[in-house]
Amino acid sequence: MFRTTLKGLLAHKRRMFTTALAVTLGVAFMAGTLVLTDTIGKTFDDLFGDVYKNTDAVVRAEAAFEGPMSSGAQRGRVDESLVASLRRVSGVAVVEGQVQGYARLVGKDGKAIGNPQMGAPTFGGNWSEAKELNPFTLVAGQPPGADNEVVIDKKSAEDGKLAVGDTTTVLVQGPPQQVRIAGIAKFGTADSPGGASFTLFTGPAAQRLVAEPGKFDSIALVAVEGVSQPELVSRLTPVLPGGVEAVTGAAVTTENQDDLREGFSFFNTFLLVFAVVALLVGGFMIFNTFSITVAQRTRENGLLRALGASRRQILSSVLVEATAIGVVASALGLAAGIAVAGALKGMLAAFGFDIPGRGVVLSASTVVTSVVAGMVVTLVAALSPARKAAKIPPIAAMRAQVAGSAGYGSKQRILVGLLLLVVGVSAMLIGLFGDTGTTVGAVGLGVLLVFFGVSVLGRTISLPLSRALGSPLPRLRGAAGTLARENAMRNPKRTAASASALMIGVGIVGFITILASSTKASIDASTDRAVTGDFVVDSGAGMVGGIDPGMAGQLNALPEVAVATGLSRGFAEVDGSPQMVAGLDPKTAFELLDVKPIQGSPADLGRDAIGVFGEKAEEQGLKLGDRVPVVFKDTGPQSLRVALIYDEDQPVGSYILGVDAFEANFANRYDAQVFVKKAEGASTAATRAAVERVAGAYAGAEVFDQEQFKAEQGAAVDQVLGLVYALLALAIIIALMGIGNTLALSIFERTRELGLLRAVGMTRKQLRSTIRWESVIIAVQGTVLGLLIGVFFGWALVTALTDEGIDQFDLPVGSLAVVVVLAAIAGVVAAVGPSRRAANLNVLGAIASE
Amino acid sequence: MAIRATDVTRPSTGPAAARTVDALKVYGKGQTEVRALDGVSVEFAAGRFTAIMGPSGSGKSTLLHCIAGLDSLSSGKAFIGNADLSTLDDQKLTILRRDRVGFIFQAYNLVPTLTAIENITLPLTLAGHKGDQAWIDNVVATMGIGQRLQHRPSELSGGQQQRVAVARALATRPQIIFADEPTGNLDSRSGAEVLQFMRQAVDDMGQTIVMVTHDPVAASYADRIVFLADGRIVDEMHQPTAERVLERMKRFGE
Repeated sequence: MFRTTLKGLLAHKRRMFTTALAVTLGVAFMAGTLVLTDTIGKTFDDLFGDVYKNTDAVVRAEAAFEGPMSSGAQRGRVDESLVASLRRVSGVAVVEGQVQGYARLVGKDGKAIGNPQMGAPTFGGNWSEAKELNPFTLVAGQPPGADNEVVIDKKSAEDGKLAVGDTTTVLVQGPPQQVRIAGIAKFGTADSPGGASFTLFTGPAAQRLVAEPGKFDSIALVAVEGVSQPELVSRLTPVLPGGVEAVTGAAVTTENQDDLREGFSFFNTFLLVFAVVALLVGGFMIFNTFSITVAQRTRENGLLRALGASRRQILSSVLVEATAIGVVASALGLAAGIAVAGALKGMLAAFGFDIPGRGVVLSASTVVTSVVAGMVVTLVAALSPARKAAKIPPIAAMRAQVAGSAGYGSKQRILVGLLLLVVGVSAMLIGLFGDTGTTVGAVGLGVLLVFFGVSVLGRTISLPLSRALGSPLPRLRGAAGTLARENAMRNPKRTAASASALMIGVGIVGFITILASSTKASIDASTDRAVTGDFVVDSGAGMVGGIDPGMAGQLNALPEVAVATGLSRGFAEVDGSPQMVAGLDPKTAFELLDVKPIQGSPADLGRDAIGVFGEKAEEQGLKLGDRVPVVFKDTGPQSLRVALIYDEDQPVGSYILGVDAFEANFANRYDAQVFVKKAEGASTAATRAAVERVAGAYAGAEVFDQEQFKAEQGAAVDQVLGLVYALLALAIIIALMGIGNTLALSIFERTRELGLLRAVGMTRKQLRSTIRWESVIIAVQGTVLGLLIGVFFGWALVTALTDEGIDQFDLPVGSLAVVVVLAAIAGVVAAVGPSRRAANLNVLGAIASE
Repeated sequence: MAIRATDVTRPSTGPAAARTVDALKVYGKGQTEVRALDGVSVEFAAGRFTAIMGPSGSGKSTLLHCIAGLDSLSSGKAFIGNADLSTLDDQKLTILRRDRVGFIFQAYNLVPTLTAIENITLPLTLAGHKGDQAWIDNVVATMGIGQRLQHRPSELSGGQQQRVAVARALATRPQIIFADEPTGNLDSRSGAEVLQFMRQAVDDMGQTIVMVTHDPVAASYADRIVFLADGRIVDEMHQPTAERVLERMKRFGE
């Protein structure tokens, strides 16, 4: 029996190949993600291990709170006088204070280096004098010898075409600084740590320009021979003031490694979701292939039964075939996964995150997970066709070959499908809108059930849908069109199963497209509502740093400008939860930003006051005049009074501090954006020119008008969208291969019919056209169903997210129409191989074939 | 309603509707070489019903396929009317089959997804024209399938299916119809019906039919029988009867 199966498999190499390929791609993606995760983990473990190789202890402020958005522990700074007292502790060999903050280099072409908004951050710090503690190694030049000299990382030097001896500008706090490149350094073996840019000053200059004079972010220590790390920490602890801690170098290493892994865990989950989608789509394809081949082998299996094979033997013969495909495909997928990891690494690099070093890490768990996933998907998908094969009665051997039943779906089937759909939709809606808040589990389950429900109903929906979609074909393509439509309708079960695979991919594409365009529409709408100025100067910096607040002052001094105001941002723990808070000057800001006060007045945002977004206030039960506990990293716990409750949280966010409160609690202040309103009588062009002259001194800063600003804010959404599309393309390609495979198998089944058509005068071109249009009907069918589901998901999620600021539902009809057209084109592409094969059939051979 | 010969524009006698000259068809090479056709020169007169007979492996089907443009000769020539098939590419051959040749096969004659009438008009639809409706009505009436036109092949009996196939072959008023064992899958009564209809097509409509068969009764419906053995024409018979054909066929066994 086993031998019969394997012989059968080898006799149909092409069929096996395409089926296996579906699983291979899914597994490859999964393996690639896992390999990449391990590689990143290993790379940075090694990197941090190297950086802290000689650091025996670190003295630093205790964590004030855990920052929002995985930004890690937020700490204040320690006084530099501590260095002297630590040096006196016995067992200490080397002590050095360290700072790190925002700095952005300007390249030779006058443009700022790096793109901290989208990619890796740009930092400034001090060049470590202590050789043991310096992770950088000079590859050219010398350490900085004066306050206006810097060492930069090799990647920045290359990106900015800077060489030792060049003079350039660096953006820091306060006005931009002119510096001379004294040296260029590598970070361990890498050109830069993870693609980040570093500008390293002398100690005092670094303190002044990127941190605070007289303060260090941390103090690193090296112990004398024979003093262990814990021993050193225990000796240091007694001399530390309150709120300052000492930890071992080993602990800091682990901390950094963990932080990085956590930062990447979102990205990994994100990639794994796509891998699962790809595998799911591959599963559909396997199900379809096996269903068709089992139908085609009805007579053969009937004969085997007649000759004495048991049901169990037939069942296991199909499962053995599936296992063989699963094993081969998973193994190939695993191998391909290593290449995929390389491609993903390249993609990360394109987003500005370079992973130093080459090599990849293939862990045992990756191997096991990938192979098991591939096997499970293959076997589960093959189970139902295998059972069907086992049910074939011996008499089937005697009957004429009836390949594939019409299969419109039984009553029970329709009932089950509807039930799945209803339960799925309910679970989703309850998950999204229920009193218990949004529960991801319920929503995910709902989504899955909806997809399955539609798949179960597929064969019932498929017939009328094929008829409708194909209705223009007889007129457009004559006999070829009629036949294409009839062929798409002749086995609704098969058409539906092929279309289902595509439906999943397109459903997700549609959903994401709607979510993205609704998000952009919401940003646009709230920007229109809230931003009443004429121009916005955007810093181009990311979460770290920004423009010197002095620029707003310079702009205010321009005669063309009526008023300019800066928007600063910082982290704080408000009422026990980590938050982003905005800093605004109440004297000018509200002329440009209409936050729509509900209660209180922006003018009251003084030294100990805070403004709270209306919905947040309601959520937290805050009323005007209430006291809120707020923790800042630099000043610790504070109690602020609610002086303003407002209705518009774009672009300011949920909490506002007046500039007095902001400066009192944050040691560093940068403006992320500066909003500008032109003076009465000043022309737009002249104002813009004047603003650009001022902003020109701050490389990286860009001047936008309202429309450009909206587009710029939407650009981030588009970038994520592009990434998502690229990843979903995989699932869609697999689905298209599935359509091609189904067509190829159908053609094999219809060989004699095709021969007849050719004999009575169908030209090759007409035959190709018939198959092409059948493919288009299947592809468009899957796409239409997918889009319907996607639009529903999109609508549901956008409605549920109204509270989160996505208050516009935007149906991007143009983009969705493009998806349908692309699907039709893809259908044509999927049919290329099968139609060519059909057209080249030998007419006589086809007629004579069994 | 029957159609009389005078309704038909095509003359009932005259030049050959199809012919071969020194037709040679070789399969395989060297030791395994098989000469399926070994220098066959034959003419099929217009307006006549010709049967090709011979034992299994005599090359009768190969001859039919090669004259019909479904297969190519190794050497020699095959003509439909004046068209030399060896000079035509696949596209031109296909169009020739569509417009000038009719086919009736042993089984699986019809496209399962199309109704009877759609099957009948298929060559016309493929050519992109409607055809002569009055003619098609006549053909349908002659074949006695007027009540079954909207049915799909799976809803028709074997005999009805073959009559639909004959109607399709007639629908384009082809220069010649080739039939390959058209009654091979039918019981004797349905077979006789189908043959009677084919006879009628020749007598009343002036059609030219060439049929391959191994059944003496079927062959007796023809005007003329060409006997093949080992790829050569070995005999010929005019106005055959089943008894005479059987007699002749028995001699192949000797």
